[in-house]
Amino acid sequence: MRVLIAEDDAVSRRILETLLLRWGYEVVTTSDGKKAWGVLEEDGAPHLAVLDVMMPDLDGLEICRRVRKLSRTIPPYIILLTAKHGAQEIVNGIEAGADDYLTKPYDHDELRVRVQVGARIVELQIKLAARVAELEVALEHVKQLQGILPICSYCKKIRDDQDYWQTVESYVSARSEAEFSHGICPTCYETTVKAQIAAYRAEQPGILR
Amino acid sequence: MSVEEASINFDPAQSQVQSLLADTGGDAIEATDETVLAALEEVQSEGEPDLIVELIDLYLNDAPQRVEAIRAAAAKLDGALLKHAAHTLKGSSGSIGVLQVAKICKILERPDCVSSAAKVEVLLQLLEREFAGAREALLAERQRRVS
Repeated sequence: MRVLIAEDDAVSRRILETLLLRWGYEVVTTSDGKKAWGVLEEDGAPHLAVLDVMMPDLDGLEICRRVRKLSRTIPPYIILLTAKHGAQEIVNGIEAGADDYLTKPYDHDELRVRVQVGARIVELQIKLAARVAELEVALEHVKQLQGILPICSYCKKIRDDQDYWQTVESYVSARSEAEFSHGICPTCYETTVKAQIAAYRAEQPGILR
Repeated sequence: MSVEEASINFDPAQSQVQSLLADTGGDAIEATDETVLAALEEVQSEGEPDLIVELIDLYLNDAPQRVEAIRAAAAKLDGALLKHAAHTLKGSSGSIGVLQVAKICKILERPDCVSSAAKVEVLLQLLEREFAGAREALLAERQRRVS
Protein backbone atom coordinates (compact mmCIF):
# COMPACT_ATOMS: atom_id res chain seq x y z
CA MET A 1 0.00 0.00 0.00
CA ARG A 2 1.24 3.50 -0.85
CA VAL A 3 1.57 6.10 1.88
CA LEU A 4 1.97 9.84 1.35
CA ILE A 5 4.31 11.69 3.70
CA ALA A 6 4.07 15.47 3.98
CA GLU A 7 6.75 16.92 6.25
CA ASP A 8 8.74 20.11 5.72
CA ASP A 9 11.58 19.13 8.04
CA ALA A 10 14.13 17.03 6.11
CA VAL A 11 15.31 15.00 9.13
CA SER A 12 11.81 14.06 10.27
CA ARG A 13 10.81 13.30 6.68
CA ARG A 14 13.74 10.95 6.15
CA ILE A 15 13.04 9.12 9.42
CA LEU A 16 9.37 8.70 8.50
CA GLU A 17 10.27 7.48 5.03
CA THR A 18 12.77 4.96 6.41
CA LEU A 19 10.27 3.64 8.96
CA LEU A 20 7.44 3.20 6.46
CA LEU A 21 9.69 1.53 3.88
CA ARG A 22 10.93 -0.84 6.55
CA TRP A 23 7.34 -1.74 7.44
CA GLY A 24 6.66 -2.67 3.83
CA TYR A 25 4.82 0.36 2.51
CA GLU A 26 5.48 2.20 -0.72
CA VAL A 27 6.22 5.82 0.10
CA VAL A 28 5.51 9.10 -1.68
CA THR A 29 7.29 12.00 0.03
CA THR A 30 6.48 15.70 -0.18
CA SER A 31 8.15 18.63 1.57
CA ASP A 32 5.26 21.08 1.85
CA GLY A 33 1.49 21.30 2.01
CA LYS A 34 0.94 22.43 -1.56
CA LYS A 35 2.80 19.47 -3.00
CA ALA A 36 0.94 17.11 -0.67
CA TRP A 37 -2.41 18.49 -1.81
CA GLY A 38 -1.26 18.15 -5.42
CA VAL A 39 -0.70 14.43 -4.84
CA LEU A 40 -3.91 13.86 -2.88
CA GLU A 41 -6.22 15.54 -5.38
CA GLU A 42 -4.99 13.38 -8.27
CA ASP A 43 -6.79 10.23 -9.34
CA GLY A 44 -4.93 7.22 -8.01
CA ALA A 45 -3.65 9.12 -4.96
CA PRO A 46 -2.31 7.08 -2.03
CA HIS A 47 -5.05 5.85 0.31
CA LEU A 48 -2.96 6.57 3.41
CA ALA A 49 -1.35 9.86 4.36
CA VAL A 50 0.84 10.97 7.26
CA LEU A 51 0.76 14.77 7.36
CA ASP A 52 2.64 17.27 9.47
CA VAL A 53 0.30 19.96 10.78
CA MET A 54 2.57 23.00 10.55
CA MET A 55 3.86 23.35 7.01
CA PRO A 56 4.51 26.40 4.85
CA ASP A 57 1.84 27.53 2.35
CA LEU A 58 -0.77 24.93 3.24
CA ASP A 59 -1.02 23.30 6.65
CA GLY A 60 -2.14 19.78 7.46
CA LEU A 61 -5.54 20.89 8.73
CA GLU A 62 -6.40 22.70 5.48
CA ILE A 63 -5.30 19.65 3.47
CA CYS A 64 -7.70 17.53 5.56
CA ARG A 65 -10.58 19.93 4.88
CA ARG A 66 -9.90 19.93 1.14
CA VAL A 67 -9.56 16.17 0.96
CA ARG A 68 -12.90 15.65 2.70
CA LYS A 69 -14.60 17.80 0.05
CA LEU A 70 -13.46 15.40 -2.67
CA SER A 71 -16.03 12.77 -3.56
CA ARG A 72 -13.89 9.68 -3.45
CA THR A 73 -15.15 6.11 -3.33
CA ILE A 74 -12.25 5.34 -1.02
CA PRO A 75 -11.41 8.46 1.00
CA PRO A 76 -7.79 8.58 2.19
CA TYR A 77 -7.00 7.69 5.80
CA ILE A 78 -5.12 10.65 7.27
CA ILE A 79 -2.85 10.61 10.29
CA LEU A 80 -1.79 14.04 11.52
CA LEU A 81 1.67 14.21 13.04
CA THR A 82 2.53 17.27 15.05
CA ALA A 83 4.42 18.71 17.96
CA LYS A 84 1.23 20.40 19.16
CA HIS A 85 -0.11 18.81 22.31
CA GLY A 86 -3.44 19.25 24.02
CA ALA A 87 -7.02 18.07 23.71
CA GLN A 88 -8.12 21.10 21.69
CA GLU A 89 -5.42 20.48 19.11
CA ILE A 90 -6.65 16.91 18.71
CA VAL A 91 -10.25 18.12 18.40
CA ASN A 92 -9.21 20.65 15.75
CA GLY A 93 -7.36 17.98 13.79
CA ILE A 94 -10.16 15.42 13.85
CA GLU A 95 -12.79 18.07 13.06
CA ALA A 96 -10.74 19.19 10.07
CA GLY A 97 -11.05 15.64 8.72
CA ALA A 98 -8.12 13.69 10.11
CA ASP A 99 -8.71 10.06 11.09
CA ASP A 100 -5.96 9.92 13.69
CA TYR A 101 -3.53 12.20 15.49
CA LEU A 102 -0.06 11.52 16.85
CA THR A 103 2.15 13.97 18.72
CA LYS A 104 5.90 14.38 18.27
CA PRO A 105 8.18 13.00 19.49
CA TYR A 106 6.38 9.79 18.65
CA ASP A 107 7.23 6.22 19.53
CA HIS A 108 8.09 4.25 16.40
CA ASP A 109 5.99 1.26 17.43
CA GLU A 110 3.00 3.48 18.17
CA LEU A 111 3.22 5.00 14.71
CA ARG A 112 3.58 1.51 13.19
CA VAL A 113 0.37 0.19 14.77
CA ARG A 114 -1.57 3.35 13.97
CA VAL A 115 -0.53 3.13 10.33
CA GLN A 116 -1.56 -0.54 10.45
CA VAL A 117 -5.03 0.48 11.65
CA GLY A 118 -5.24 2.91 8.75
CA ALA A 119 -4.14 0.26 6.26
CA ARG A 120 -6.72 -2.17 7.67
CA ILE A 121 -9.52 0.36 7.30
CA VAL A 122 -8.43 1.26 3.76
CA GLU A 123 -8.34 -2.43 2.80
CA LEU A 124 -11.83 -2.85 4.23
CA GLN A 125 -13.04 0.14 2.23
CA ILE A 126 -11.49 -1.26 -0.94
CA LYS A 127 -13.27 -4.61 -0.37
CA LEU A 128 -16.55 -2.86 0.37
CA ALA A 129 -16.23 -0.68 -2.73
CA ALA A 130 -15.62 -3.78 -4.87
CA ARG A 131 -18.64 -5.50 -3.31
CA VAL A 132 -20.82 -2.44 -3.90
CA ALA A 133 -19.69 -2.35 -7.54
CA GLU A 134 -20.66 -6.03 -7.93
CA LEU A 135 -24.04 -5.39 -6.36
CA GLU A 136 -24.63 -2.39 -8.60
CA VAL A 137 -24.01 -4.55 -11.67
CA ALA A 138 -26.39 -7.19 -10.31
CA LEU A 139 -28.94 -4.52 -9.50
CA GLU A 140 -28.71 -3.26 -13.07
CA HIS A 141 -29.79 -6.73 -14.29
CA VAL A 142 -32.64 -6.80 -11.82
CA LYS A 143 -33.81 -3.39 -12.94
CA GLN A 144 -34.02 -4.56 -16.54
CA LEU A 145 -36.58 -7.17 -15.54
CA GLN A 146 -38.65 -4.78 -13.53
CA GLY A 147 -41.78 -2.98 -14.65
CA ILE A 148 -44.79 -4.04 -16.74
CA LEU A 149 -43.91 -6.49 -19.51
CA PRO A 150 -46.30 -6.54 -22.51
CA ILE A 151 -46.86 -10.24 -23.20
CA CYS A 152 -48.99 -11.86 -25.93
CA SER A 153 -52.01 -13.58 -24.39
CA TYR A 154 -51.78 -16.40 -26.88
CA CYS A 155 -48.16 -17.19 -27.81
CA LYS A 156 -46.68 -15.61 -24.63
CA LYS A 157 -44.04 -13.64 -26.56
CA ILE A 158 -42.87 -10.43 -24.88
CA ARG A 159 -42.61 -7.08 -26.65
CA ASP A 160 -39.27 -5.36 -26.01
CA ASP A 161 -38.40 -1.64 -26.00
CA GLN A 162 -37.74 -1.76 -29.78
CA ASP A 163 -41.23 -3.18 -30.42
CA TYR A 164 -39.90 -6.64 -31.33
CA TRP A 165 -41.77 -9.63 -30.02
CA GLN A 166 -39.41 -12.10 -28.41
CA THR A 167 -39.91 -15.49 -26.87
CA VAL A 168 -39.85 -15.49 -23.08
CA GLU A 169 -36.57 -17.41 -23.17
CA SER A 170 -34.68 -14.93 -25.35
CA TYR A 171 -36.15 -11.92 -23.55
CA VAL A 172 -35.18 -13.12 -20.09
CA SER A 173 -31.81 -14.51 -21.22
CA ALA A 174 -30.82 -11.14 -22.67
CA ARG A 175 -31.58 -9.35 -19.45
CA SER A 176 -30.36 -11.65 -16.72
CA GLU A 177 -27.87 -14.34 -15.89
CA ALA A 178 -30.68 -16.94 -16.18
CA GLU A 179 -30.32 -19.88 -18.60
CA PHE A 180 -33.12 -22.17 -19.77
CA SER A 181 -33.32 -25.94 -20.02
CA HIS A 182 -36.44 -27.19 -21.77
CA GLY A 183 -38.77 -29.85 -20.39
CA ILE A 184 -42.49 -30.69 -20.24
CA CYS A 185 -44.61 -30.04 -17.19
CA PRO A 186 -47.12 -32.73 -16.06
CA THR A 187 -50.15 -30.62 -17.06
CA CYS A 188 -48.88 -30.02 -20.59
CA TYR A 189 -47.92 -33.68 -20.84
CA GLU A 190 -51.46 -34.68 -20.00
CA THR A 191 -53.26 -32.05 -22.05
CA THR A 192 -51.01 -31.72 -25.10
CA VAL A 193 -48.22 -34.25 -25.40
CA LYS A 194 -50.34 -37.36 -24.78
CA ALA A 195 -52.79 -36.30 -27.47
CA GLN A 196 -49.95 -35.61 -29.92
CA ILE A 197 -48.38 -38.99 -29.24
CA ALA A 198 -51.74 -40.68 -29.83
CA ALA A 199 -52.14 -38.82 -33.11
CA TYR A 200 -48.61 -39.80 -34.28
CA ARG A 201 -49.29 -43.42 -33.38
CA ALA A 202 -52.45 -43.37 -35.38
CA GLU A 203 -50.69 -41.84 -38.37
CA GLN A 204 -47.41 -43.80 -38.13
CA PRO A 205 -48.04 -47.13 -36.45
CA GLY A 206 -44.73 -48.62 -35.25
CA ILE A 207 -42.74 -45.35 -34.93
CA LEU A 208 -43.90 -44.50 -31.41
CA ARG A 209 -44.60 -47.25 -28.97
CA MET B 1 25.17 40.89 28.91
CA SER B 2 26.08 37.37 29.85
CA VAL B 3 23.62 34.51 29.78
CA GLU B 4 23.66 34.37 33.56
CA GLU B 5 23.09 38.14 33.96
CA ALA B 6 20.20 38.11 31.55
CA SER B 7 18.60 35.19 33.31
CA ILE B 8 18.54 37.12 36.60
CA ASN B 9 16.41 39.84 34.99
CA PHE B 10 13.63 37.45 33.99
CA ASP B 11 10.24 37.64 35.59
CA PRO B 12 8.79 34.55 37.28
CA ALA B 13 6.68 33.75 34.22
CA GLN B 14 9.92 33.07 32.38
CA SER B 15 11.01 30.39 34.81
CA GLN B 16 11.23 27.92 31.95
CA VAL B 17 14.30 29.79 30.78
CA GLN B 18 15.80 29.56 34.27
CA SER B 19 15.25 25.84 34.36
CA LEU B 20 16.70 25.54 30.90
CA LEU B 21 19.76 27.41 32.06
CA ALA B 22 20.09 24.92 34.87
CA ASP B 23 19.65 22.02 32.51
CA THR B 24 22.01 23.22 29.83
CA GLY B 25 25.68 23.94 29.88
CA GLY B 26 26.66 20.31 29.62
CA ASP B 27 29.48 18.89 27.64
CA ALA B 28 29.35 17.41 24.16
CA ILE B 29 27.97 14.05 25.32
CA GLU B 30 24.92 15.69 26.93
CA ALA B 31 24.28 17.82 23.87
CA THR B 32 22.54 14.88 22.22
CA ASP B 33 20.23 12.24 23.64
CA GLU B 34 21.76 8.85 22.98
CA THR B 35 18.47 7.05 23.48
CA VAL B 36 17.02 8.85 20.45
CA LEU B 37 20.01 7.87 18.32
CA ALA B 38 19.73 4.30 19.68
CA ALA B 39 16.08 4.16 18.58
CA LEU B 40 17.11 5.37 15.13
CA GLU B 41 19.81 2.71 15.07
CA GLU B 42 17.05 0.09 15.20
CA VAL B 43 15.50 1.52 12.06
CA GLN B 44 18.72 0.98 10.13
CA SER B 45 18.34 -1.68 7.44
CA GLU B 46 21.18 -4.07 6.75
CA GLY B 47 23.21 -3.31 3.67
CA GLU B 48 21.87 0.24 3.45
CA PRO B 49 24.01 3.37 3.94
CA ASP B 50 24.30 4.44 7.59
CA LEU B 51 21.00 6.20 8.35
CA ILE B 52 22.35 8.13 11.33
CA VAL B 53 25.21 9.56 9.27
CA GLU B 54 22.65 10.62 6.66
CA LEU B 55 20.43 12.21 9.30
CA ILE B 56 23.37 14.04 10.90
CA ASP B 57 24.32 15.44 7.50
CA LEU B 58 20.74 16.50 6.83
CA TYR B 59 20.46 18.15 10.23
CA LEU B 60 23.81 19.95 10.12
CA ASN B 61 23.05 21.17 6.62
CA ASP B 62 19.60 22.49 7.53
CA ALA B 63 19.78 23.61 11.16
CA PRO B 64 22.24 26.55 10.75
CA GLN B 65 19.81 28.11 8.27
CA ARG B 66 17.01 27.65 10.76
CA VAL B 67 19.04 29.24 13.55
CA GLU B 68 19.78 32.14 11.23
CA ALA B 69 16.08 32.42 10.35
CA ILE B 70 15.22 32.51 14.07
CA ARG B 71 17.73 35.28 14.67
CA ALA B 72 16.42 37.26 11.69
CA ALA B 73 12.81 36.87 12.85
CA ALA B 74 13.75 37.89 16.38
CA ALA B 75 15.57 40.99 15.09
CA LYS B 76 12.40 42.02 13.27
CA LEU B 77 10.24 41.02 16.25
CA ASP B 78 8.18 39.01 13.77
CA GLY B 79 6.25 36.58 15.97
CA ALA B 80 4.81 34.48 13.15
CA LEU B 81 8.15 34.02 11.43
CA LEU B 82 9.87 33.30 14.73
CA LYS B 83 7.25 30.72 15.61
CA HIS B 84 7.58 28.92 12.29
CA ALA B 85 11.39 28.89 12.26
CA ALA B 86 11.57 27.77 15.89
CA HIS B 87 8.91 25.12 15.32
CA THR B 88 10.77 23.58 12.40
CA LEU B 89 14.10 23.52 14.23
CA LYS B 90 12.35 22.04 17.26
CA GLY B 91 11.02 19.18 15.12
CA SER B 92 14.30 18.27 13.47
CA SER B 93 16.26 18.68 16.72
CA GLY B 94 13.86 16.46 18.63
CA SER B 95 13.94 13.85 15.88
CA ILE B 96 17.71 13.48 16.05
CA GLY B 97 18.04 13.74 19.83
CA VAL B 98 19.27 17.33 20.14
CA LEU B 99 16.82 17.87 22.93
CA GLN B 100 18.23 21.01 24.54
CA VAL B 101 17.96 22.89 21.26
CA ALA B 102 14.43 21.52 20.89
CA LYS B 103 13.55 22.78 24.38
CA ILE B 104 14.82 26.29 23.66
CA CYS B 105 12.89 26.33 20.38
CA LYS B 106 9.76 25.31 22.25
CA ILE B 107 10.01 28.47 24.35
CA LEU B 108 10.91 30.59 21.31
CA GLU B 109 7.80 29.51 19.43
CA ARG B 110 5.46 30.65 22.21
CA PRO B 111 3.33 33.62 21.10
CA ASP B 112 4.37 35.78 24.07
CA CYS B 113 8.08 35.20 23.58
CA VAL B 114 8.61 37.97 21.08
CA SER B 115 7.25 40.54 23.54
CA SER B 116 10.48 40.49 25.56
CA ALA B 117 13.58 41.40 23.55
CA ALA B 118 15.84 40.56 26.50
CA LYS B 119 14.33 37.13 26.86
CA VAL B 120 14.65 36.42 23.16
CA GLU B 121 18.28 37.50 23.21
CA VAL B 122 19.10 35.16 26.08
CA LEU B 123 17.30 32.35 24.37
CA LEU B 124 19.18 33.03 21.14
CA GLN B 125 22.50 32.96 22.96
CA LEU B 126 21.49 29.75 24.65
CA LEU B 127 20.33 28.31 21.36
CA GLU B 128 23.58 29.09 19.62
CA ARG B 129 25.62 27.70 22.50
CA GLU B 130 23.59 24.51 22.64
CA PHE B 131 23.61 24.12 18.90
CA ALA B 132 27.39 24.50 18.80
CA GLY B 133 27.69 21.77 21.44
CA ALA B 134 25.27 19.52 19.60
CA ARG B 135 27.11 20.10 16.34
CA GLU B 136 30.37 18.96 17.90
CA ALA B 137 28.73 15.91 19.39
CA LEU B 138 27.04 14.98 16.13
CA LEU B 139 30.24 15.46 14.13
CA ALA B 140 32.08 13.24 16.61
CA GLU B 141 29.37 10.59 16.26
CA ARG B 142 29.57 10.89 12.50
CA GLN B 143 33.36 10.52 12.55
CA ARG B 144 33.06 7.44 14.78
CA ARG B 145 30.64 5.83 12.36
CA VAL B 146 32.46 6.48 9.11
CA SER B 147 35.93 5.56 10.40
